[in-house]
Amino acid sequence: MDILIYGTTEMSYLVASRLHQQHNITILHDPGELSDKISNLDVRIVAGSGGDIAVLEQIEASKADLFIASSAHDEANIVACWTIKKIADTETICFIGKASLYKNLSSPIHSRYQSRYDIDSIIWPEQLLTQEIFRIISVPEALDVEYLAGGKAKLFEYRIKEGSSMIDRSIMDCKIPKDILIPGITREGKLFIPDGSTTIRLNDKVFFIGLGPALDSLAADFFKHEKKVKSVSIIGGGSVGYMLAEKLERTNKKIKIIEQNPERCEFLANSLQNTLVLQGNGTDLELLDSESIAAADVCICTTDNDEKNLLCSLLIKQLGSKRTLTRVGNTQNYELFEHVGIDVVVSPTASALTEVLNRIQMREVHVLALIEGGKGEVLRLTIPDTFKELQLKDLKLSAHAIIGVILRGHKVLIPNGKTYLLPKDRLKIFTMKEDSDKIKEFFFQ
Amino acid sequence: MKLPLIASALGIILLAFGCIILLPAALAGIENEYFEVFAFACGSVCSFALGALCRWYGRSSRNFDVLRRSEGLLIVTLTWIITAAIGALPYLFFGLHPLDAYFESMSGFTTTGATILKDFSLYPKSFFFWRSLTQWLGGMGIIVLFVAVLPQLGVAGRQIFFAEAPGPSEEKITPRIAHTAKALWLIYLLLTCLQILLMTLAGMPVFDAVCNSLTTMAAGGFSPHPESIMGYGNPTITWIVSLFMLLAGTNFALQYKFFIKGKIRSLFSNDEFRFYLAVITVFSLLLCFFLYTRQGSMFSDSLRNSVFQIISILTTTGFSSADFALWAVPAQALLFAMMLIGGCAGSAGGGIKVVRILFTGKFLKREIDQIVHPRAVLPIKLGGVTVHNDVQRQMISFMLFYIVLMIFSALIVTMIEHDAAVGLAGTAATIGNVGPGFGEIGPMGSFGFLHPATKIIFIVDMLVGRLELIPFLAMFCPDFWSFDKNSR
Repeated sequence: MDILIYGTTEMSYLVASRLHQQHNITILHDPGELSDKISNLDVRIVAGSGGDIAVLEQIEASKADLFIASSAHDEANIVACWTIKKIADTETICFIGKASLYKNLSSPIHSRYQSRYDIDSIIWPEQLLTQEIFRIISVPEALDVEYLAGGKAKLFEYRIKEGSSMIDRSIMDCKIPKDILIPGITREGKLFIPDGSTTIRLNDKVFFIGLGPALDSLAADFFKHEKKVKSVSIIGGGSVGYMLAEKLERTNKKIKIIEQNPERCEFLANSLQNTLVLQGNGTDLELLDSESIAAADVCICTTDNDEKNLLCSLLIKQLGSKRTLTRVGNTQNYELFEHVGIDVVVSPTASALTEVLNRIQMREVHVLALIEGGKGEVLRLTIPDTFKELQLKDLKLSAHAIIGVILRGHKVLIPNGKTYLLPKDRLKIFTMKEDSDKIKEFFFQ
Repeated sequence: MKLPLIASALGIILLAFGCIILLPAALAGIENEYFEVFAFACGSVCSFALGALCRWYGRSSRNFDVLRRSEGLLIVTLTWIITAAIGALPYLFFGLHPLDAYFESMSGFTTTGATILKDFSLYPKSFFFWRSLTQWLGGMGIIVLFVAVLPQLGVAGRQIFFAEAPGPSEEKITPRIAHTAKALWLIYLLLTCLQILLMTLAGMPVFDAVCNSLTTMAAGGFSPHPESIMGYGNPTITWIVSLFMLLAGTNFALQYKFFIKGKIRSLFSNDEFRFYLAVITVFSLLLCFFLYTRQGSMFSDSLRNSVFQIISILTTTGFSSADFALWAVPAQALLFAMMLIGGCAGSAGGGIKVVRILFTGKFLKREIDQIVHPRAVLPIKLGGVTVHNDVQRQMISFMLFYIVLMIFSALIVTMIEHDAAVGLAGTAATIGNVGPGFGEIGPMGSFGFLHPATKIIFIVDMLVGRLELIPFLAMFCPDFWSFDKNSR
């Protein structure tokens, strides 16, 4: 596939670095300096404006299958998307970083008016991040939550804590409820796909995939589930903090939000209905203590500064927080955050990357979710008609992968070894990032 | 301040007012009471003469585009003082003492509804009609009326429009002030006509229906019947009057959106209106409970009387469906609490206004919250929108001024009358434009027996309450009175 990327932001780099080995990528950038990171990739690099038809014609933009506008300027992205639509009917993905523009472009409002914005998909990383955080905190205790098959099946991540009956038992002996599989375990920062004989250790982060009710009984059996999230503390009232508070308000949670900038505080206090807005520094121990920030069921650090988020989360952990979510901007810091013991690390770029990859993958295969900062993937794939039906235990996959969910017609199945795979089944497959191509190849030989 | 300019504006208003006084004269003419025609014609002539004089004095200043805020305030205050004086002239012909006449007239224009009449049988129909008409004019605001019908006022209309009703929100429902004033009067007129129709259908004589409707929509409270609404002894009428008093106490700009523009949700999504309804519901039930258990009246009577009386006092109308001066003390205390609240902003009702009470409640709650969370940013919101700091300050100072004025007035009256009940209830009833108080100035009583000094204080209270303090207080600033000597 020919992909044209406009802009040299972190986002552009991540997309390009993920895709440059399978696809032909051209990076178009405004004249100026180019970081080494990008020039080291196996891509074609052209200097020029995305809004310049002459440049686009010159690089034969009309032959591109996908155009991703991810420069630092929203307006430039929009104009670039419009310009390429003038030349050819290329699919466009436009990155946006401002709330007002995002609302203009994505909400149904604009279709009321005479002419539409001619952009195929809009991605606002912070909005995706907000959705992700919201999804995670709406399930108590779980570290990560992904919804599959429209929410009928779910993927939960739990940390195995001291006292759990699962410790030092193999998966086969754990008496996990029916309709639940363990597709992955993260141990000491490394994700791997277990089999029945794998032993679960203390502090493992274990993924469970299964149907909603089964997961509920799992949570009731193995994890304290009765506590619903009632109170949330948010540090940092930027776009993510604000949107999150707005979303949480609608579910009647008690929210405290700490923001440093007095003017932003005014804005937050004026726009939010029941949220307590506190003006102060998130790293001010006295403030955190006197407002009992750590006593909330979930604490979320979403400032745009990684160092501050890290310090904040550690302070809050110190004060006894049960669950902390922390935003990381620079993907390189991801592992460090995990390493020092922060429960959940989320990042807007990772959320956006999932979204982009989702649209890029072949029609039959979609990445539903990226696990552990992109180390694992949940793939969606439909078995082709040429496939011969067989039992799952006879399936010889060429790489480690677990088929988590089978969608057959309107039925949702959690497979075991005796389940048959039929043509046209839609599968959700949990696999490692480096194995995902092998899995795709296996089904589409 | 330019005197000719003020005189010129007053002149226009007085000429127009002269025409209005001809209305009761016409009524008297239909009834063939030529003495009454003479009485009202006299008032009319005085108004025309004074108006012409003012126009002559202010002949050099016909351009109102340069009207200043202080001039606007003075025009409004003078308009109310002078129109009340001219409106009192016809009363003199019916044997009222000049002070009593002025009290009655001021009570009319300010929609207070306190009366000095002791015996209602002495006066003719046109007398009662004029009493009711003064309230109807004052209900929406004399200035609003003149802004609506007199194109000469032009840009100045805006200045004096808001000087007359300096509510917390400058709400214009149309871009141009004259259109806004017309829209407000339109809804006011339509509702009045509707009420007249309903009351007539419910069996009230047409003349009484007209007079009572005029004073209901104005949240005034004058009734041609000495026993007010109680005198008609008709439950249906009591309920109809309750409904229209409720509307009179509601923001007319909202009602315009609701009835004319058909925006159903605008009314119920309004914080002030919801609070207003909540107050009425809660206090009516409480009062009903007291009446049912303590007074031993029937449940339907208790409910009707409590709803009627709560709305009547809350909207500062001051009608009575029962002699509440005879009720038990807890019931009277509830009614007294209502006197302090008043109607919604932008309504015909007076008093402190529901929105200010609501705001003050939120303001106090914020102070308490701030003690617990010293670093919290806590804006005060009305209708989901943050109240600006300037507006906050205005509202709080209004509350303070109101309370200070009330205390002083109550103390002085108590000293004069040797009666704390008259002092406190009378002051609350006049400064809030409610009308009847408790005791001898209760709904079946009269203000006529009071000492002349008390009457003067109450007259000032009524005017100050109607103009929401601001124009009155501004006059105490020495700089307010700096006249331009060279302007002629």
